[in-house]
Amino acid sequence: MRSPTKRYTRAVMFFVLPFAVLFALFYLIPIGYAIVQSLFVVERTGTFGPAREVFGGLAQYQRVFSDGPFWTSVARVLLFGVVQVPVMLGLALLFALLLDSGLVKGRRFFRLAFFLPYAVPGVVAAIMWGYLYSPNLSPFTAVTANLDLLSADLVLWSMANVVTWVFVGYNMLILYSALLAIPQEIYEAAKLDGAGPIRTAISIKVPLILPALVLTTVFSIIGTLQLLAEPQVFRSFSSAVNSTYTPNLTVYSTSAIPNFSLAAAFSVVLALSIFVLSFAFLKTTQRRGIR
Amino acid sequence: MRSRLRASSIILISALAAAACSGTETDATSGSAKSACAPTQGKVELTFTSWIPEIQSVVEAWNAKNPNVQVKVQTGPAGNAGTYQNFSNQLKAGNAPDLGQVEYDTLPSFRVQDGLTDLGGCDIVMKAKDQFVEWTWNQVSFGEQGSAFGVPQDAGPMAMFYRKDLFEKNGIKVPTTWQEYADAAAKVKQTGGYITNFSQVDINQFAGMAWQAGGHWFANDGNAWSVTFTDPATTKVADYWQDLINRKLVSAVPPWTPEWNNAYNSDKAWTWVSAVWGANTIATGAPKTAGKWAVAPMPQWNAGEASAGNWGGSSTVVFKGSKHPYEAAQFALWLNTSEEALTLLNQKANLYPATKAGAQLPALKKGVEFYGGQPIYDVFAEASGQVKPDFVWGPTMTKTYTDASDGFKAAVSGKGTLGEALKSAQDSTIATLKSQSIPVKE
Amino acid sequence: MSVTVTTPVRRQSGPRVDAGRPAAVRDSLLSRTAAMAVMAVATAYVLVPLWWLVVGASKDESQLIDGNPLWFSDFQLFTNLSDLFQYRDGLFLQWLLNSVAYTGGAALLGTLFAGMCGYALAVYRFPGREMLFNIVLGGVLVPATALALPLFLMFSQLHAANTFWSVFLPSIVNPFGVYLARVYASASVPSDLLEAARIDGAGEVRTFFTVSIRLMTPALITIFLFHFVAIWNNFLLPLIMLGDERLFPVTLGLYTWNSQVDQNPQLRGLVLIGALMSIVPVVLVFLSLQRFWRAGLGTGSLK
Repeated sequence: MRSPTKRYTRAVMFFVLPFAVLFALFYLIPIGYAIVQSLFVVERTGTFGPAREVFGGLAQYQRVFSDGPFWTSVARVLLFGVVQVPVMLGLALLFALLLDSGLVKGRRFFRLAFFLPYAVPGVVAAIMWGYLYSPNLSPFTAVTANLDLLSADLVLWSMANVVTWVFVGYNMLILYSALLAIPQEIYEAAKLDGAGPIRTAISIKVPLILPALVLTTVFSIIGTLQLLAEPQVFRSFSSAVNSTYTPNLTVYSTSAIPNFSLAAAFSVVLALSIFVLSFAFLKTTQRRGIR
Repeated sequence: MRSRLRASSIILISALAAAACSGTETDATSGSAKSACAPTQGKVELTFTSWIPEIQSVVEAWNAKNPNVQVKVQTGPAGNAGTYQNFSNQLKAGNAPDLGQVEYDTLPSFRVQDGLTDLGGCDIVMKAKDQFVEWTWNQVSFGEQGSAFGVPQDAGPMAMFYRKDLFEKNGIKVPTTWQEYADAAAKVKQTGGYITNFSQVDINQFAGMAWQAGGHWFANDGNAWSVTFTDPATTKVADYWQDLINRKLVSAVPPWTPEWNNAYNSDKAWTWVSAVWGANTIATGAPKTAGKWAVAPMPQWNAGEASAGNWGGSSTVVFKGSKHPYEAAQFALWLNTSEEALTLLNQKANLYPATKAGAQLPALKKGVEFYGGQPIYDVFAEASGQVKPDFVWGPTMTKTYTDASDGFKAAVSGKGTLGEALKSAQDSTIATLKSQSIPVKE
Repeated sequence: MSVTVTTPVRRQSGPRVDAGRPAAVRDSLLSRTAAMAVMAVATAYVLVPLWWLVVGASKDESQLIDGNPLWFSDFQLFTNLSDLFQYRDGLFLQWLLNSVAYTGGAALLGTLFAGMCGYALAVYRFPGREMLFNIVLGGVLVPATALALPLFLMFSQLHAANTFWSVFLPSIVNPFGVYLARVYASASVPSDLLEAARIDGAGEVRTFFTVSIRLMTPALITIFLFHFVAIWNNFLLPLIMLGDERLFPVTLGLYTWNSQVDQNPQLRGLVLIGALMSIVPVVLVFLSLQRFWRAGLGTGSLK
């Protein structure tokens, strides 16, 4: 880290500005716009009178906080996240450790194979699994004939599987590259202590890649709360998925009314909830001394 | 550094304010006055957004003959899958296309957004009024004398597609009333099939059946809307299907899925009460059953009646902000009344014309091989004339459909009933209208 | 510099911890088998759905329902492909090319900008540094549904909606890339090296482009790859921005066809083969960058 010097100001500007300007233009201004929009309400006279947008204070937020289905959907994605994120990251960690353990031949093949689903756009992945789940078309009729994977009880977990399928390899790669970054000397020390591969994995490797684990967890939490493509596609496969199944789906169907202000208020509240959750998670892990 | 920061934040804020105000700018031209509808001198270019996959080839026929009015086509996802949302956004931003495809059930939504040009001032449009089937004209005029917020394009008169061979082989009478339909459903179930599926998502199909029964979902007296999804006629239809669901005489396969096609393709589903465009859906979804189908009029509530419902159909509208309403209206009329365009639309996109003369197109008089050579469009032509002219759609149908379909899905999976779903859709529709400050009577 | 060269070499040397311990040989055989078994099951889980897609794309529509879903029946892959590419004068090819243009260009620029910004955050101390970093990270939290409409209205103000740029420009911004670049840069660019460059009289910017960028290459390729996939898969922004289908990226095109299936059921088969084709370019990019990945994955080990 350099000490603060005027000497570098121009260089810093050169490095930071291209990103900062685009970020301000295409993130900050739209966010500001959404916040402004969320403070407006519509007024009109008569059944087909032209609409006027007038300042309405927090009227839209009042609607958001008294909207039962929205908060049910928040609870639903939280439940989804509490189960799906640990399962997916647990698997990703297991595969990363196996690849790194030297027990597995053909690392290059596995790395590529596991990454492939990540190349599949979310919408396409959901359509594909929709076919695979449907009772008559699935290649796994033995399963789907006895178990309705698209029923109200199971469809949330069927979607969890789609998300896991797409992202397990991506997360594995992040964790694997973190493992590769561990200096060799540390292993030498462990070897001298007579530690076996499993012990090395649990007591040396995992603690050392905790920052990467925290990172993947935060991004998985964010992804979970923003779930949109999968439930949207599954609406056509399953009766159980309604138009307010996830918070983001609520935003989408509200803006289709079109009620721009209410949709903006929903997304502001959603973004804040995501912020609070990820921040809380980061703080908790930091307090435990992980950094 | 600091002053530069301040300067840039001022730019940001003013850009923000400009963006925030954009919604109200277009209101300057609003009001209910009819547009002047005067021809423009010289060359005109119009933009037209539609989601008919082959619309380009139809428009090319126009462009070839009208060098001074060139139409540029944009296509996108189906209306509710994104194009309507885009229209709304574009109206808000003030850059909507000149012309757009809007289904009848969504016209009120765009009128409430003050997005439609009233073509009532265009002589050419008002003179064409009598060419259209009455109910389609009522949709675009909102029942108001001297108004036209679009030009009817196509219609979806309903009838019953059925497996002629299966009914014959099993000695089951082809139903002509809904009572007979329910009786047949029980017999079909015994053979291991289903008479049909109950669609949880096609609320407009259900609306078509309520329409046939004489239901009215919305009314508008100029001061306020009234919303009733629980009138006696609609309740009758809901109770009827709820009974079939309870007795497990209809399947719950979600429509428009490969699974649903498969049910038709493998003789598991015997009938479909659907619109004229459904003819193509079955033909491509169930190719193995070619030649075994036939079309009969929709079952009636009382023997001897002759009424039909409608499912779907679009209009061509001229959006607010179009600088050339006259030329746009000219094009819309050609597209939806000329034999050339109607024939092309029918060939390329399987559209069924909204004009009375359209039913006489040569293509619609022929027997259809997939239906055993039956001239099926005769059945639909008859149905088209039996559609009640006074059904009104509400201004937030997209939301109403999702609300009702959420309830229908629950009912099909055994939680609640269709009647309850309609009641709750009615309540949430009223709430949606209120949140938009649209006056509504309770 | 020499440090980075040694790093990847370590990777080639098989099992590290247990190597050469005779007592561990039996254990090792058992655990090897167990490990391979776990990986085999996982590979099946990952690949079978894709295999199903390949098989499905090779079939005529009618065979899709009847035949064995996991094996070829009437091998029609090439017929289907030519149908796909001929449909409406090669519209699908146009979409593929558009996607390549949106994605390739924006991901390249985005990676460069994110790399520069992350580098500055890692290497220099300047006022507002932490705040900038926190705001950028906060950007990741905003749902895309909230950004798309305001962006559309902004571009409409400038009469630039429904243009190539309206999708291209917003796609460049990659806050996650800044985060990754910062982490990698603070790990892989040693300050002595920068000091040495300064003593040699090289400017900061020149040092970045001649020395630092090379040290960061593996990280930049990672960022590029993730960014490439993210833009390739994005369809919400193009859905709202674009009206002209000649400008569509392939995801939006497929979404459009899928929504028109009700009207034109023939499109169902095209959607399936199109979905397969839409994955191919991403896989190609990943394969072609494999070499860099392998060479550089260990760079962070300098830390």
